Amino acid sequence: MSDKPKRKPLDLRRREMPKQAPEVRSHNFNEVALGYTAQTAVEEAKRCIQCPKPKCVSNCPVEINIPGFIKCIAEGNFAEGARVLKDKNCLPAVCGRVCPQEEQCEETCVLVKKEGQIAVGRLERFLADWEAAQGELEIPPMELPTGKKVAVVGGGPAGLTVAGDLIKLGHKVTIFEALHKMGGVLIYGIPEFRLPKAIVSREVEYLGSLGVEIVTDFVVGKTRKIDSLLDEYDAIFIGSGAGLPWFMDIPGENLNGVYSANEYLTRMNLMKGFSFPEYHTPIKSHKRVAVMGGGNVAMDCARTALRLGAEARIMYRRSKQELPARLEEIENAEEEGVIFEFLTLPLRYIGNENGWVKEIECLRMELGEPDSSGRRRPIPVEGSNFTLPMDAVICAIGNSPNPLIASTTPGLEMGKKGNIEADEETGQTSRERIWAGGDIVTGAATVILAMGAGRKAARSIHEYLCTH
Amino acid sequence: MSLDSVDKVLDFAIAKEEEAAQFYNDLAVKMGRKGMKEVFEGFAREEMGHMAKLMAVKEGKQLHASGAKVMDLKIGETVSDVQPSGDLSYQQALIIAMKAEKAAFKLYLDLAGTTDDPALKELFLSLAQEEAKHKLRFEIEYDDEILTEN
Ligand SMILES: Cc1cc2nc3c(=O)[nH]c(=O)nc-3n(C[C@H](O)[C@H](O)[C@H](O)COP(=O)(O)OP(=O)(O)OC[C@H]3O[C@@H](n4cnc5c(N)ncnc54)[C@H](O)[C@@H]3O)c2cc1C
Repeated sequence: MSDKPKRKPLDLRRREMPKQAPEVRSHNFNEVALGYTAQTAVEEAKRCIQCPKPKCVSNCPVEINIPGFIKCIAEGNFAEGARVLKDKNCLPAVCGRVCPQEEQCEETCVLVKKEGQIAVGRLERFLADWEAAQGELEIPPMELPTGKKVAVVGGGPAGLTVAGDLIKLGHKVTIFEALHKMGGVLIYGIPEFRLPKAIVSREVEYLGSLGVEIVTDFVVGKTRKIDSLLDEYDAIFIGSGAGLPWFMDIPGENLNGVYSANEYLTRMNLMKGFSFPEYHTPIKSHKRVAVMGGGNVAMDCARTALRLGAEARIMYRRSKQELPARLEEIENAEEEGVIFEFLTLPLRYIGNENGWVKEIECLRMELGEPDSSGRRRPIPVEGSNFTLPMDAVICAIGNSPNPLIASTTPGLEMGKKGNIEADEETGQTSRERIWAGGDIVTGAATVILAMGAGRKAARSIHEYLCTH
Repeated sequence: MSLDSVDKVLDFAIAKEEEAAQFYNDLAVKMGRKGMKEVFEGFAREEMGHMAKLMAVKEGKQLHASGAKVMDLKIGETVSDVQPSGDLSYQQALIIAMKAEKAAFKLYLDLAGTTDDPALKELFLSLAQEEAKHKLRFEIEYDDEILTEN
């Protein structure tokens, strides 16, 4: 018998990422996912088979060299990995946390049907966090000043990307942001337990260190109009997002205790409503909260309400299969104790004598036969009405772009949903020297798509500035 | 006008479609935004299409109510009324359209209940079914475009 020690077979399974236990995290606002250790990250990276024609790259909206940064991790060269990653993605710590990887890079991984797709998002997050933990962020090489000035409207992912790209190319960039803090939805929408605000602030500070001028509390269209900014700037990028909430247009929506998701999340994330009196904008504590909708926004609202001690319920017209939220967030919400009422349609909100919502009348739905598009649509079940006691309702069925800028800028063409019309490849709008991108053009979408649009617009603006 | 002959009923229905087209064209004129102007102009064109179809029926083409019930998502019934004034949003435009088609459907159904003439009854029911299809078309658009997260 050979006395050679037996080598442990390589564990090819996808590595899990540690999380706070559901019973613990449902009582705090700290980040749920805890991230890979260096050892786990290397193990996960070693599973990547480095496909010669990697489908993960073509399925990434900003075409990050995914096998490239994964190879660096596998070799333990984290600094180089961070460089490869940041070559295409200026907000990796954000994207590693909130991108719908299961529908993008990870969906097309060849290992998906074997031991499980490579955890691209978790590795991306690992690298970004590792780099941040090293202290000083590396300042990239900067072009000589061109003397051209660009105004960026909105400090969300689209605006931040444009600003980052153009400042490196030597242009002078100023971001005008309506709120008192930069970051857009990353700051006021997505909760701390999913995306710690320190991460967003770090990215904003980084832009500041590159020389981007940041002006907050400045509502373009009110404080100053686009045409007035054009007198001072050579080009303008509009990345003002989709912050106008939709309501369901049902009776009772004006009652107290009925919030839009935007209001609710802004009060919590930006105004720290849960830390009264430390912060000055308290939010009423609710016992039973119903959230209308099944997207990421709805999950964020329900999980926030739960953390504030409420019984939180998602009400969704369709069934579980159709939920548009990220799978990971649905699972997290379920584990934490969010109740799901599928195939349920609220008909009206009923108020008490003081004008506060006290119950909801609902109707059960069933899925009809597939129509010509193959979709099974929810149809009310006649006579299935029922009521549920509720002291708060949050409407999270979607947002559309705020029409303020387009309506105060003559000649700027808008689509039917209030979006600004812009060329898909360049972001150029119907007005010369004005570009737009992100949710203001597409309607509510994703962080990575907003960044992708920002990158394309920055390229087009740079070309314009170099030739005019 | 008493609706006591097929021709009179068809003239009535044609006039209703024309009225609807006019209503949407008027709204299109009032819209400040190009996108919404185009939405209402599109609705008006659809009504003109319905009108042309009815004119063809009057010229001798058949309009048969198929046995199959048109799917009813009942979205139009659950949303509040919209006052068609000022600049309207796409969501409001769809609500106006769903409700208008529902009202037309109800009108023909009620008219079918007022006659014993089998030919007229059949015609009213066919017209009602046409309106139900128009409503479904707007409800599907509302379901796909507005209720994406619900
Ligand atoms: C609660 C929530 C959860 C989400 N979860 C995810 C997720 O998990 N994954 C994902 O990929 N996406 C998610 N999204 C969507 C994603 O956040 C957005 O698609 C993305 O932030 C859009 O970026 P943006 O830069 O276009 O706009 P925004 O992030 O909306 O930023 C626009 C900025 O412009 C400012 N602004 C608006 N009007 C003016 C004005 N007139 N003058 C000056 N400034 C102005 C706003 O204050 C804001 O700061 C979520 C969205 C929400 C609301």
